[in-house]
Order: sequence, then C-alpha cells, then structure tokens
Amino acid sequence: MKKILIANRGEIAVRVIRACRDMGLSSVAVYSDCDRAALHVRMADEAYPVGPNPPRESYLRIDRIIDAARRSGADAVHPGYGFLAENEDFAAACRDAGLIFIGPSPEAITLMGSKTAARQVAIAAGVPVVPGTEDPLNDAVSDDEVLEIAKGIGYPLMLKAVAGGGGKGMRMVSQPADLPGALRAARSEAGSAFGDSAVYLERRILAPRHIEVQLLGDHYGTVVPFVERECSIQRRHQKVVEESPSLAVSPDLRHLMTSAAAAVARRAGYTNAGTIEFLLDEDGSFYFLEMNTRLQVEHPVTEQVSGVDLVQWQIRIARDERLTLDPAAMLVPRCHAVECRIYAEDPDTGFMPSPGRVHGLRVPQGPGVRDDSGLYEGGEVPIYYDPMISKLITWADDRPEALARMKRALAEYEVRGIRTTIPFFRWILGDEDFRAGRFDTTFLDRKLAGRNGQPLDPAGEEHAVLGAIAVAVRQLTTAAVSAADAPAPAASRWQQSARTGALR
Amino acid sequence: MQFELEIGGKVRTVRVSTRDERLEVSVDDRRFDVDHRAVGRHSLSLLVREGDGATRSVDVTVVATPGGAGFDVSLDGQTLPAALVSRFGRRAGLAGAQGSGPQNVIAPMPGKIVRLLVAPGDAVEPRQGLVVIEAMKMENELRASRAGRVTGIKVAEGQSVEAGVLLVTVE
Repeated sequence: MKKILIANRGEIAVRVIRACRDMGLSSVAVYSDCDRAALHVRMADEAYPVGPNPPRESYLRIDRIIDAARRSGADAVHPGYGFLAENEDFAAACRDAGLIFIGPSPEAITLMGSKTAARQVAIAAGVPVVPGTEDPLNDAVSDDEVLEIAKGIGYPLMLKAVAGGGGKGMRMVSQPADLPGALRAARSEAGSAFGDSAVYLERRILAPRHIEVQLLGDHYGTVVPFVERECSIQRRHQKVVEESPSLAVSPDLRHLMTSAAAAVARRAGYTNAGTIEFLLDEDGSFYFLEMNTRLQVEHPVTEQVSGVDLVQWQIRIARDERLTLDPAAMLVPRCHAVECRIYAEDPDTGFMPSPGRVHGLRVPQGPGVRDDSGLYEGGEVPIYYDPMISKLITWADDRPEALARMKRALAEYEVRGIRTTIPFFRWILGDEDFRAGRFDTTFLDRKLAGRNGQPLDPAGEEHAVLGAIAVAVRQLTTAAVSAADAPAPAASRWQQSARTGALR
Repeated sequence: MQFELEIGGKVRTVRVSTRDERLEVSVDDRRFDVDHRAVGRHSLSLLVREGDGATRSVDVTVVATPGGAGFDVSLDGQTLPAALVSRFGRRAGLAGAQGSGPQNVIAPMPGKIVRLLVAPGDAVEPRQGLVVIEAMKMENELRASRAGRVTGIKVAEGQSVEAGVLLVTVE
C-alpha cells in the first residue's frame, strides 16, 4: 500500500492525511466545487474533483470516487465517517475495483448496519439487549398487531427505524393510545430518510448513560477493545461532549462491558475499527444498543487515553498486519480526555447553521490540547455539509484537570466571521452537575430547555466600549492607507506610523 | 476623526487622534490611550489604558459588512454588530434616540425577519427589542430608542426585506 484516497472532506480528511504522512504514504483528496480551497485539498499530495456541491452529486457518488482512485493510482480508500463510510455498496465497489477498503468487510457492514440483525448478533454472543422486538415491523404489520407486541414489552417504549441513525425515525411512546400515531410518523420519517420504513420496538430505559466501546479487529481473529467512552452529553440524540474514562464505569464494569463488546465483534466476524454502543442503566445493568461500523468522530478521546493512533492501525490492519497491542494495557486509562464538537451554529438562535468565511482564527495550543479541524483563516464553511468544524480535545491526569484545560482552550479559541458553539461549551463546562458527573442522555436537552433561550454570554457594556475603540482604530488606519496610496502626499508622522500598523 | 457609532444598544460619540506612535480614543466621556498592531487581515492587537488604570490587552477582529456602514466586531468570544450613524441624521434602522415624532424602524441591511417581538398597540420602553432581522448569518435585534406605542408593523415573520424598508413604527 503506497497511496490512499480519502473519500471525505473537512477535519476527518485532514486527520487521515496526517496518518498517511506519519506512515510515509501518499494521500489523495477528492473535492466538490465549493471545496476547491478546503484545507484537506490544500494538505493532500494530490486532489481530484468529484462534482457539484450537493453531497449526492459529489461525495456520495461512488462511481466518481472510484474513478478518482483509478486516475490517481491509489491502491486503498479511507472513507472517514459519514458519507459512504457505512455503505456496503461502496465497500464492495472498492473491492471490485481492486482497491483496499480501509474498514470492515461489506458483509460486516450489512450485518451490523441493520439494527434488528445486529441485535440478533448480540443475543447470540450472550450480550444483553434492551428488551424489544427481534424482527423488523414492516408496513404489512397492522397497528393492532404492533399494539399486541408492545403489551409484552411494556411502556414507555421507543419506536426506532431499523435502518436508523441520528435520531431520525425515532419516537417515544408512553401509552398505547399514542402508538398508532407514533408508528405512522416514525415509518414515514424512516422511509424518507433511509428508504426503508421498517421499525422495531424497544423498552425505554428512563435515565440511561450512553457508553460505548471502541475496538480494533485484525484479519487473524484478534479483537482488542479499549477503555469506554462516555457519550451521554447529547443534544437531540447527537453527541456534543465525549470523555474517557466514564465516571460511571468501575474497573469491574469496564471488564464486563469491553468483554461483551469484543464478543459481539467476534460473533460478527468484524475487522478494522468499530464501536459498540451500550445503554447503561442506573442500576449498573447495560444493554447492547448498536454497532458503528466505522471510525467515529470521537476517536481522538480514545487515542489520548490509550496512546494508540487508531487511524494508523486501521491502515495497518487493512494491509493485513497483525494487531500487536497489549489487550490488558488498552483497558487501563493513561489519562482522562474530553472532547467538544465545535459546530458552525449559533447557540443563541436555536443552533441555526452559521456558514460563511472565517475572518479571524486563534486556535488553542499548549499542554494537553489537540484541535482536529478543517478551518483556516480566510477559509469558507460551506452550507452543504455537516456544520461540525472542529473537535477540541484536552487531557490530563484526572477529570478536573482535563476540564480546566478545556476551559482554558475554549477561552483561547476564537473563530471570527461565523458563529460557533464555543460559547455553549463554555456554559456547559461551568455547570455544576456536569462537573460532578451527574448526567444521563436527557441531561443537555433538559438544561437547554431550562435556559428558555436566554443568550449565552451576553456582551456587556465594556465589550461595546472596547468594540467602539477597535472600530475607531480600523477607521483611522484604513483612512491612512487610502491617504498613503494617494499620489505624493506629504507623509506625516502619523501616516507613517499608521502604515506600519496598517491592516493590510 | 470623529463619528457616531451604534454598538451594544447605544449610539456613542467616538473621537480618535494620534499622539506620537499611539492613539487617543474617546468613547462618549471616557478617554483611552491605545497602542495598536495589525495581526491579520481583519484583526488587531490593542493595548488599552484608561487614565492611570491597567493596560488591557484586547485581541479584536473588525469585519466590514457589505454595504459599508456596518461592522461585526469580535472580541473575548463575543461578536457585536456595530453601525456608523450618518452625520446628517440617523442611520437607517435606528430610530431617533432623542427628540419627538414617530420612530420609523428601517431595515439596516437586506435580510430576513426572524421574529416580531411586539404587536400593534403594544407600549414599548426605551431600548426594548422590536424586531429581529437575520442578515449575514447574524440575528440583529432592532430596538426602540425611546418609549412609545407601536402604531404599525409592516412586515411578517419569515419575510425577506431589502435594506431601507420600513419595518415598525412607534409613536
């Protein structure tokens, strides 16, 4: 393997390019029209266009990406996350074109991509699942039949799309009377989002934590799980803060959960990087939720805690190397790590996307800080793609110190020209319950509802006065530049000084 | 150089002059000694001292909004919209801060009306928000400059408007 095409964009494409460089491999970027000057294109060794801005016409076009791989002479493809990462047709198309797909086999993607099939794998591996239906309920199953099945599961329950993800096609039902309406809504949402309207029922765990186990599997049957990640801080079912280890997981529980995760992966014949998600109940019982058959957004948290470069291992496994990591060492955290997913969204307007040009950028650095980002000053955040622009990760010996570093890094982080969720993270970091680790998956939506849309961090009088001073300086220096450009001015002292301090 | 600037919900008189290598800036009745360096295309490092106080370091970005009279000023994790007020009258979009007669609140820039905060007949206090307009990916709240009663609302939520369009009248 010499050259890897990265079928993705943004921070994750940059992350994979870095791994390529670490390993002495060439990197190939692909880009849509508006991404011509994106950071991943600037950083890659080679770059090829794959079409217009809408993902459907570029980053999701299997034919064009395979074609770019052929043109570049790449011998492997890394899908990143999102886009085609969990698309079995893409993995198969790579294989058919003689390209190594850096990820699991198409068969494993298909198997674990179906939520009901994945539940059956977990049950066969002896891992508990949330009580619910084992078979998909397609449109042919009548409301009365579903009501009958629901009686056996108990209320409240969750209706979920078999092909689902990201909270789409998901409904909570607290009583039988609400079931038919919720069923209609979930089926139609699932049909339009995933092209498959089948749903299934699951008992609702009232205040669970979302705990997940990262693992790697090689082509020789070795599966190594890592210290769990705590991902309960979610906004509308989307993770926004992740950390590792979890305060709710003791070494004994860690042993149980990581063994369960490895058992599921082995049962599925799983290879490369993957993640098993669990719900952890207040009483310490845990249930298999689903498997993500890709590298995850929050993988850096595990990298910091384990000291392992997961992307490099993905590549090594794909080229048939044996996993040589010490499994016992992977279950002992070396530090505590936290990640904030920074979005180009305005937290003060209900998280409206805020695309645009980045006019100023100050990236946090220093001890215990990592910023995985696709931004640069002067760069553009397009409206067509996921608004996540950066992942800020901090780590230290313990959680309070890691949080203190996160607080420092967030204060240092300035992204100007667009709105970001940085103020929102500053607010969460100050929350007493968050600091004490008292939270479950409902925590953030409850806290946000409690704010009643009050602005985060409102600008004060002092900010306005300093802002007025800044405008004054800008007006004067801009005027000075224009004056300096005019023919033969009598250069005064202030013009000279303004020129040296001028804006452009 | 002297100008009127609306920022942080107030119109302020700003004066700036050079003194040796430094600048003397006053904002209304407060006077500041300012040292400045460009640190990027739109960014400045300022060292700001008021009287005998501490010298404060301020990292700030000033981006002109299309159209010329407005700026987005970012510092300390905040972004504040600012607008120059014309010498001959109020900037479009700012109702008269003093004086009498109806306040005509006008769209300062093209954008979309995201929220109406008042209804016809409502009594409003000085600086009470009237309408929120989204422009340049930013929501801007346009406020009443003095007390009065809302006599007319000329736009609906969700409507796109051009700069200079009358939005709300307060008498």
